[in-house]
Amino acid sequence: MYATSSRRSPPGSISMEASTLQAFRDRDAAAVRAMYREYGKLVYAVAHRFLGRHDLAEDAVQQTFVRAWQSAHRIDVDRDPAPWLATIAKHVAIDIYRREARRPTTALTDVMTRDRTDVNVSPEALDAVWHVRRAIDELPIDEATVVRLQHIDGLTQREISDQLGVALGTIKSRSHRAHRKLAGLLGHLRERTHE
Amino acid sequence: MSERGHLTKREREALIAGAGAASGGMTGGEADDLPLLAETLADPSVWAQPSVALEYVVLRAVMSAKPAAFAPVTSIGPVQPAARRRGAPRHWRALSAAAAAVAVIAITAGITMTRRHEQPDFESRLAATALAPGAGASADIYRAKGGFRVELEARGLPHLADGQYYEAWLKNPAGTTVPIGTFSSGDGSSGDGSSGGGRVTLWSGVSPKEFSSLSISIEATDNDQRPSGRRVLVGDTRPA
Repeated sequence: MYATSSRRSPPGSISMEASTLQAFRDRDAAAVRAMYREYGKLVYAVAHRFLGRHDLAEDAVQQTFVRAWQSAHRIDVDRDPAPWLATIAKHVAIDIYRREARRPTTALTDVMTRDRTDVNVSPEALDAVWHVRRAIDELPIDEATVVRLQHIDGLTQREISDQLGVALGTIKSRSHRAHRKLAGLLGHLRERTHE
Repeated sequence: MSERGHLTKREREALIAGAGAASGGMTGGEADDLPLLAETLADPSVWAQPSVALEYVVLRAVMSAKPAAFAPVTSIGPVQPAARRRGAPRHWRALSAAAAAVAVIAITAGITMTRRHEQPDFESRLAATALAPGAGASADIYRAKGGFRVELEARGLPHLADGQYYEAWLKNPAGTTVPIGTFSSGDGSSGDGSSGGGRVTLWSGVSPKEFSSLSISIEATDNDQRPSGRRVLVGDTRPA
């Protein structure tokens, strides 16, 4: 329905066509869906990094898109909307953090110990989350699975081979291909995704 | 890299660096990013997935939001008359009333002419449940840019308590339920506790052809996004 483009983008990034952004600016419902499908997971990842909880992160995504919609007239159709959305997402996450901190039944310590709310997360860490998540989403699922098992579960290639029942050579190839793509982020990881 | 045992941070960095070197080596700036990339890849937030239903939740929230220049959802019930301003000269009031009447006639005629040429793609007649025995509704559904516009005409819906609202749903034969909008009972409550009825515009991101069961339920303003099951109106959609 609406197109994406790789123009004005660092490696591994996705940008929307100006026509889609104009449609969002004009408050076209289909453009909201296109915007969510392009940026929803990225906003979720940033909110999750900030708030550390699935339910709060989803709340943040919802509020981020509502605020974006309400201020759609401010969107610059000639620029990547990622910094604009990331800024809204961060402000929303801060508001949610403060809201949760005020809840008598959900003390701040509760929010922080359930997972790991981190209001002091650095801007460069948020930028990195945004860029890496975008790159991961572009990997084929079999490559992403190997990378996740390596970096999240800390498994060796031999262990992944055993766990998935896939030949070790295949795992090595997938791992190498995936990491070669991810290495394309090096040098761009700190590029600003927020204003 | 070890063949057995958990990878260290240095080993994970080596995975990236090795692949990067294979594609031409690293500059100083790229090398500086290496620890941050390895650390971020090991961050569970980067891999966390939102629920599939979040797209619908977001769309519903956006469509229900009311930016200054756009208010897609209206509440059922007559609009309360504005308080009369004191002190305006009588002839100005008369002129204003005349101008307003002309404007209303023009707008109504325009809407009528526009609507006359717009045929719904689907329609539905909704029957009341035991929760709202005096209620009834009809819906005309139009294909629109990016989804379907549902014009719901309801009558006799119970006036709701604070913290409650009505929500419309479409459901497919597999039992998947998709929210298509919310509305309040408005201020048109009659003496028997039911509202005066009215028209509300809803938006659906799924086709009434596949999601052919339409219902209205009473929901509470809590964090539970699932249908409450307190359905007041039920019906099926069919091609108009």
